Amino acid sequence: MAHSPLDMSTAQPNLTPLLDMVFQLITFFMLVINFKDAALDQSLQLPVLGSARPLDTKGQEDLLVLNIDAEGRLKVYGVPREVQSYIADEARQEEARLKTKGTPLKAGEELPTMVVIRADRTTPFKLLNDIIKTCQKHNYRKFALKAMNRREGP
Amino acid sequence: MRRRRRLSRALTDVELNLASMLDMAFQLLAFFILTFRPSPIEGQLSLHLPPAVPVTNVQTERTDVTEAADAGGTIAKTLEVSVFADNSGNVLKVQVGLRTAFLGPADTGNLHKLDQKLHEAFAFEGSPFEQIVIRVAPNLKYEELMKVIDVCTRQKTADGQMLHKISFVEMSGTEQAK
Repeated sequence: MAHSPLDMSTAQPNLTPLLDMVFQLITFFMLVINFKDAALDQSLQLPVLGSARPLDTKGQEDLLVLNIDAEGRLKVYGVPREVQSYIADEARQEEARLKTKGTPLKAGEELPTMVVIRADRTTPFKLLNDIIKTCQKHNYRKFALKAMNRREGP
Repeated sequence: MRRRRRLSRALTDVELNLASMLDMAFQLLAFFILTFRPSPIEGQLSLHLPPAVPVTNVQTERTDVTEAADAGGTIAKTLEVSVFADNSGNVLKVQVGLRTAFLGPADTGNLHKLDQKLHEAFAFEGSPFEQIVIRVAPNLKYEELMKVIDVCTRQKTADGQMLHKISFVEMSGTEQAK
């Protein structure tokens, strides 16, 4: 016996398994998303160094990420910033934070923050050295020079 | 009584409209798929960079001093490595102290030569060196410098510790002209 068109229009597919699957996919993407990547300027071409190891601070260390392009310009979250004032501000904030924690920085002591330098592979040393010296002037001593393990893209 | 029975039946018949929830879930999924961009894994070289000040070893005995001076240390715990660059910012020459480690590009073979020179300076018993100061030509590319730093960070001091005290000094124009 054939079904009437009225019966066809009242068909109700079970959406529950579909919804389950979609929620699982959403959960996956929520877990793998990393908002810290926004601080990294992906347009920079980092140098390639086979012995470079991934950074693992186990959440114990504060990082100050400096994206430096081939002309020595500093970019923070994609916005160009003046190097001297930005590093001075960050150092001041870090000192204030340590003071609030009850461990103020004594004269000559180094800041616990690690400066992560992500410079373009063609950046001349002179420009890079000026930035490193500025950091040292503000008591930063720990540095991490970023590089890729292998060449990506063309 | 009859009313309660009708009410309970009505409650059991409740059906959620999943279509709208599914719409929302798909919108969320579309957002995550479109914004998902896995970034490549980046490595790093960790360094402790104090300002470039040579540390004088006042307790070094005369014999050690001679060896140190011979290797380019000159009565100090500091070993100088000079990196010269050509006009395009690539490595032209690398010196360990006053000795030339290699001439030409920083390829695998030349970097191995540099590694050997540094090993000779650090490996002998009683080696006074505790830090390396790298004198770098101002126009040297960051990538080229990283290759030299990589070799330096592989060295071990006389007490078997990995070398982590490395400083940079910018070479003057006259030094570069040599």
